[in-house]
Amino acid sequence: MPIQEEPEPAPPTSDHILDWLEDSISFPFLNDPYTAAADDDGINSYNQWWDLQDDEDNLINASSINSSPTALPNPSPPQPESSRKRKPPNNATAKKQSSGKTNGSHSSGGGGGSKDARWAEQLLNPCASAIGAGNLSRVRHLLYVLHELASLSGDANHRLAAHGLRALTNHLSSSGSVSVPGVSIGRPPTFATTEPRLFQNSLIKFHEISPWFSFPNSLANASILQTLTILDPSHQHSSRRRQRNLHIVDIGVSHGIQWPTLLESLANRPGGPPPLVRLTVVAAAGTPASFSSGPPGDDYPSRLLRFAQRNNLNLQIDRVESHPLQTLTAEALGVASRGEGEGEETLIICAQFRLHQLPHEDPDDRTEFLRRMRDLGPDLMVLTENDGDCSCSCCCGDFALGFPRRVEFAWKLLDSTSAAFKGRECEERRVIEGEAATALSSAAEMNEGKAGWCERMRGLGFIGEGFEEEAVEGGRTLLRKYDGNWEMRAEEKGRQGCISLCWKGKPVSFCSLWKLPTQ
Amino acid sequence: MELAIEGGEFGEFGDMDFYISSSSNSTTAITTPTSMEDEIQCEWNNWAPVIDWQLLSDDNNFFMESMMDEGFEEGVQVHESPNSITTTATATPTTTSSTSDMIEEETSDEDSKGLRLVHLLIAAAEALTGANKCQDLARVILVRLKELVSPTVGSNMERLAAYFADALEGVLEGTGAHAKHPGANHQYSDNHRHHHQSDVLAAFQLLQDMSPYVKFGHFTANQAILEAVAQDRRVHIVDYDIMEGIQWASLMQALVSRKEGLPAPHLRITALTRGGGSGGGRRSIGTVQETGRRLVAFAASIGQPFSFHQCRLDPEENFRPSSLKMVKGEALIVNCMLHLPHFSYRSPDSVASFLSGAAGLGPRLITLVEEEAEAASTGFVGRFVDSLHHYSALYDSLEAGFPMQGRARALVEKVFLGPRIAGSVARSYRAPEGEECSWGNWLAGEGFRPVGFSFFNHCQAKLLLGLFNDGYRVEEVASNKIVLGWKSRSLLSASVWTSSAPSLSQSSARDSGL
Repeated sequence: MPIQEEPEPAPPTSDHILDWLEDSISFPFLNDPYTAAADDDGINSYNQWWDLQDDEDNLINASSINSSPTALPNPSPPQPESSRKRKPPNNATAKKQSSGKTNGSHSSGGGGGSKDARWAEQLLNPCASAIGAGNLSRVRHLLYVLHELASLSGDANHRLAAHGLRALTNHLSSSGSVSVPGVSIGRPPTFATTEPRLFQNSLIKFHEISPWFSFPNSLANASILQTLTILDPSHQHSSRRRQRNLHIVDIGVSHGIQWPTLLESLANRPGGPPPLVRLTVVAAAGTPASFSSGPPGDDYPSRLLRFAQRNNLNLQIDRVESHPLQTLTAEALGVASRGEGEGEETLIICAQFRLHQLPHEDPDDRTEFLRRMRDLGPDLMVLTENDGDCSCSCCCGDFALGFPRRVEFAWKLLDSTSAAFKGRECEERRVIEGEAATALSSAAEMNEGKAGWCERMRGLGFIGEGFEEEAVEGGRTLLRKYDGNWEMRAEEKGRQGCISLCWKGKPVSFCSLWKLPTQ
Repeated sequence: MELAIEGGEFGEFGDMDFYISSSSNSTTAITTPTSMEDEIQCEWNNWAPVIDWQLLSDDNNFFMESMMDEGFEEGVQVHESPNSITTTATATPTTTSSTSDMIEEETSDEDSKGLRLVHLLIAAAEALTGANKCQDLARVILVRLKELVSPTVGSNMERLAAYFADALEGVLEGTGAHAKHPGANHQYSDNHRHHHQSDVLAAFQLLQDMSPYVKFGHFTANQAILEAVAQDRRVHIVDYDIMEGIQWASLMQALVSRKEGLPAPHLRITALTRGGGSGGGRRSIGTVQETGRRLVAFAASIGQPFSFHQCRLDPEENFRPSSLKMVKGEALIVNCMLHLPHFSYRSPDSVASFLSGAAGLGPRLITLVEEEAEAASTGFVGRFVDSLHHYSALYDSLEAGFPMQGRARALVEKVFLGPRIAGSVARSYRAPEGEECSWGNWLAGEGFRPVGFSFFNHCQAKLLLGLFNDGYRVEEVASNKIVLGWKSRSLLSASVWTSSAPSLSQSSARDSGL
């Protein structure tokens, strides 16, 4: 079901939220000298985009709250000094200068988490062990204590206790083994239950203050551009052949937020944009991994299309709905079989934080999916995943073994989010943390270590591709604007290997690039 | 001699019966907490001067009786005030039975807050020790506990939890610092120092009236002593911790009214005082001197030949037998009261030096009263839970007997029980595994021989308990040892021993038992 670009502006009946989003998206680029962005690696403009969006947010809330009944009260004061430092408002010409300034202004250890106390897991993990051992009185004891200490608005430990307690009681009530003290904590919001505008704001905010997703997005976008530059014959012989179309298969969790920066960079390429940019979004299906399902009313394709239109980019968006990943076909994805000469397109598969929901053993849907992707013959496959051990209870151990791994994941998110929000409470934070907390109980959380993923890829004939220096440098620059406990680690020097994103020295995720051998 | 005890000591219990029945009728009044507090405070102040020691010793007459009788009448007035009744009426009926059983009955929803508190306390203790030692967790739990409870407000379990939380906090804050100081025990050796003297006396009086704990030890030991010295003309008692000396007033009364027509024997009491030049030592000496003056005056008033001596422990609080003045022909009695609720802590080394030193003097009888602990509990958490059980039984028993006297109980708790809890938890945390042992077992291990309790003594203990609430029980766990308990919980034991050399004491004890 292709959504063709609409030549007309949004229908007059459309609500003002969309209008607002549209305006905010278009705003920075109207005055932006395109040439300045051409040699941009996309990261600076990426940040700018989010920053401005956020500024608009504050502006609207502050000035027109009466006329905008759905505008949410802004829980945090209008952007603190840090963001103001980064960019002079409404002055796009200062962009490069200001983004350069961020390089020096980065301080280390400025996180909100004051100490590294991790007490919540001292209750959660023993409780999981006790559940595994069938020691019900011990379980009950620990649940009582968790219940006393759990809070969705305290520090990261209190939050982890609250989310963990919910997950434990869910597990216990689903197995029906014990009656447990009632959980009086309100159900935290998730993406799927959040009103679309708040959902969108939460994602934007999260990207702005945490590299959790923005860092891999940035690396992916830079690498996609790089691939185009290498492959595109127009780069060398601009007059000889016309450019190829670009087709990106988006199996990710960005809900559109990854793409404006890339689209902008494409529009501003020296050789002009590709004649057609196709974005095939594979929507979450089955038991989705955390962060992959948005609320029903979130119509980001329309916004992206309007954005492309303003940038004179020919964009086509297709959504593949309710299609299990492991049964995706070339037809479903609209990928023409390779080697058909003329209509050939540059095919890029961008899989981020989604594949760990696939069973990896009996059946090995994970390998099956990757095989299907390989058979599409992509020019580049981006694979980004959580770097952790599997917490499935079927083949990687029991509940008592898997739950601490989930707790570890949730802790990194809650701890880093606490630092990102500087301990402040707001709706957006609640949404992000609530969604992340689904990983504590979701059956879709079947992580795998970086080495395991790489082995799979190589086993199918993929060849690991290193990141270009430009992409690495861009990632490094981006990371400086976040909390000092974040760091990136390149596996090996030069063009080999993955790049890991680490929180307080422990790996959170990894990004990797894969190609097929040229015949 | 039984009559003397009954007349002198049991007389006031009639008043107590009156009190219990009168107060239970009027539990409906409702007032605001603030005015209630004020009025109690006011009446409390009226009451307090009555039990001033100074006044008693000036009076020179009737050592305890005057204090008890007058104090009790005033007490009745206080507790009949409709305002004070509401203080505790809300917390009384359900919590009394449930708190001490709380830990076993985890499924009970009746007092869910008490249950939550117990879980939090145990979790905090766990966090301070064991494989998953996590001080941050302990700190967070204690912060939560302090939000939930206060030592002066709420049910038994809530007040108790507040004291235990304080105790754990002391352990948490002191971790590391105290471990380096073996003498840190002294911190807990004089619990009452920061309380006003009149508070301590009032609290002691209340404790003595509200529970059989003090009298149980005194009566049982005294009866055994009376039986052992039935034929003697001179008796010498060496008392390890004489405190206010109330035990000996009743013994004197019994001695002067010996049935057999024998004249009262000459009684000599040597009280041990704490050594050292520290303030604690000086205060100990002063207190003991004061006790001596009172006892001398009291003996004179009833015609009991009496002399009083002091004997200092050395600066390490060890007993040196050579410092004791012995007189030929005296029946030597060694009296060792430990761990009564109002007693301050004495180090095991000091107790051991006293008992073993006294053994060398060939005493006719050793009377020992000590706290009962569950032998099975190991590790800090086990001992902590045991302690929680112990004090929760104690709290329950006090509340069951005197449900309306919330304020009075709060004073007892503040002056005696709170500091004891703090000391007990701190010592238990630092104690190496297996240090806790029963002194009775220790005596047996040292070759002391048990002296059987007389039938009469056993009956007297039962009679005493009969004057209090139903929940108390006394159990003869060995021929020479009886245990006082509250419901299923053993709290105190009294045992009687003699040095290994055979003596007449056993046969005489049996005689009077028949």
